[in-house]
Amino acid sequence: MSIVKKPSKTSNWYLPGILSGMGFTFKTMIKNIFNRDKMPTLNYPEQKYNYSSRFKGNHVLTVKKDGSLRCTACMLCATACPADCIKITASEHEDPTVEKYPINYEIDILRCVFCGYCEEACPVDAVRMGPEWQTPGLCGSDFNYDIQHLAYRPSLKGGALSRVDEEERHKSGI
Amino acid sequence: MPKCNINGKEIEVKEGTRLIDAFKEAGEDIAHYCYHPGLSVAGCCRLCMVEIEGNPRLQIACNTTVQDGMSVSNESPAVKDAVKWGLDFHLINHPLDCPICDQAGECELQIQYMKFGKYDSEMAEPKVKKHKVVDLGPKIVLDTERCILCSRCVRFTDEVSKTHELGIFNRGDRSEIGTHENKPLDNNYAINTVDICPVGALTSKDFRFRQRVWYLKNSETICNGCSTGCSVKTYYNEEGLFRVKPVHNEDVNGYWMCDFGRDIYKYANKEVRIQNPELNSEDITIDQAITEFESRLKSIDKSKTAVVVTGQQTVEEYESFLGYLKENSINQVYHWINNPDSFEDFDGLLIRGDKNPNTKGLLEVMDKNGFNKPWSELTSKLESNEIEHIIVVAPENVEMYPDMDEKVQMFSKAKQLTWLGTVKNDNINDLKIPMKSFVEKSGTFVNYEGRRQNFKKVTVIVKNAICLTDMVSYLKNKTLEIDNSPEHYKRKMNYFTQVRGGL
Repeated sequence: MSIVKKPSKTSNWYLPGILSGMGFTFKTMIKNIFNRDKMPTLNYPEQKYNYSSRFKGNHVLTVKKDGSLRCTACMLCATACPADCIKITASEHEDPTVEKYPINYEIDILRCVFCGYCEEACPVDAVRMGPEWQTPGLCGSDFNYDIQHLAYRPSLKGGALSRVDEEERHKSGI
Repeated sequence: MPKCNINGKEIEVKEGTRLIDAFKEAGEDIAHYCYHPGLSVAGCCRLCMVEIEGNPRLQIACNTTVQDGMSVSNESPAVKDAVKWGLDFHLINHPLDCPICDQAGECELQIQYMKFGKYDSEMAEPKVKKHKVVDLGPKIVLDTERCILCSRCVRFTDEVSKTHELGIFNRGDRSEIGTHENKPLDNNYAINTVDICPVGALTSKDFRFRQRVWYLKNSETICNGCSTGCSVKTYYNEEGLFRVKPVHNEDVNGYWMCDFGRDIYKYANKEVRIQNPELNSEDITIDQAITEFESRLKSIDKSKTAVVVTGQQTVEEYESFLGYLKENSINQVYHWINNPDSFEDFDGLLIRGDKNPNTKGLLEVMDKNGFNKPWSELTSKLESNEIEHIIVVAPENVEMYPDMDEKVQMFSKAKQLTWLGTVKNDNINDLKIPMKSFVEKSGTFVNYEGRRQNFKKVTVIVKNAICLTDMVSYLKNKTLEIDNSPEHYKRKMNYFTQVRGGL
């Protein structure tokens, strides 16, 4: 269905509208030139906005003290994910106390809606939403993050250590 | 027939019925772990407590038979309290590792806890640590920490498989399920213990960690592993089938199925299947394939065309296909029997030597159409090059056909070979048409005793596959209607989040 507007007599009077619009533009421009601190826009990328520390950016897989993945491949994050962007392949671990671990953990960051449900669903603090948000890529596969990127990317400097200590957990009988 | 009152519902049950079965008949929920209708009563979980009118103490429902005029309830506060603290005892040493546990999602402990428990543990002592990931045999892994010692698996090996491999060792809170030295749990029915395990203590090596159970949909069908025709449930998602479990069917398989039957899903999954029709190893469309098949039927003399069938397709398919052959006066139809020596074997419980689900059905239809030529005739005709075109309706369950390569070589002696099969076979370099496996079609199997069992389509795995009925209707009417669009192919939205609301 298309809406057809018939030209009315008043629509011929366009000059007052243009002039008042241009006036507003010039007023704001002059304000911004003489009062740069209060300017709402940033000169990105020279200037960057400081987000709060609770900002939910790109995912981080945390590691244990020995550097191996904390993730137990329980797939609760994949179950909670409303965008269906997490793919996990579980496997048997050699150590019987670990039992299960992911041999493949992929997040399709283009599908991700950054809701943070995965972080909330994780029972062992293995997946977190980090502070990173500027993550360009050249092709589609650059946005499919694997374990190497999620847990050991250079910006994490060897991996983010989880606050959960499994030895303490075992001692307390969990 | 004694009458009893269960939670206010009057029902009449058979003489000698156990109270717990009466509860199930009345449609009432009752908590229980150790009781299994296919096994003897142990009465060790103490969870099916009920209050019987006139009895001062609570009784267990599994070891009490219904008597006339009994008035029983499991809704009183006393019963609920008993179940709640009974559950607390079970959970004293049970680890809280549901996220790693493979049973999570179908675990009785989880279900009962959400129904009756919901308490905070009052135990100050740390949990007793036991052995994890114990290798019980080639098929099964045991986690003794998760075991609640219901003894179902021990009773199964004692009473059903009669192999006595499992036992309970040590005492008190150090009790563990285990096998005797040099006697692993390895019998033909071993994986049933995984099914009856109410918790995640026993897990099957085949299914372990491959999928979380809540990602799987299930649907009932008939096992095509042998001529017993057990009722089974297949678990699948859009990637394919993942496991097979038995369904209770008093007339055929009771509560159990054999371990060979659990492998049938492997021959229906995408990796092993013929994906597209092929002519001399080149992909063609299904229309081209059937047209090629038709031209072969027409151009080659009827007396030089032979058809080989196996008992692995449905009765409906045989009727339409063999009927079509008869109309076109092709009379050389041969029945391929894979193991003539052990064809009549029976192990006393479920496994039969005839590894085809529908031999009876095939023979019925062959008799009706008057096809009764012996196999030796085909062999001699192939030897003397009397046959130019051979059509093979190939078996699905190729594992049960160890003579496959040998037979394929024999069939290749004919000038032209049309292979109507499900599973890939690289030795064949002629016309191959992908067929639907047993989970992709509806139909009827006739089992060893002549019982006709209907089953419905479960899912679609290979989109291009057709069944014999489709092909005959194409040959007759020139229209091909393949129904290969299950629910989840149509759905554009995220399948998992759609069903998650029901968890």
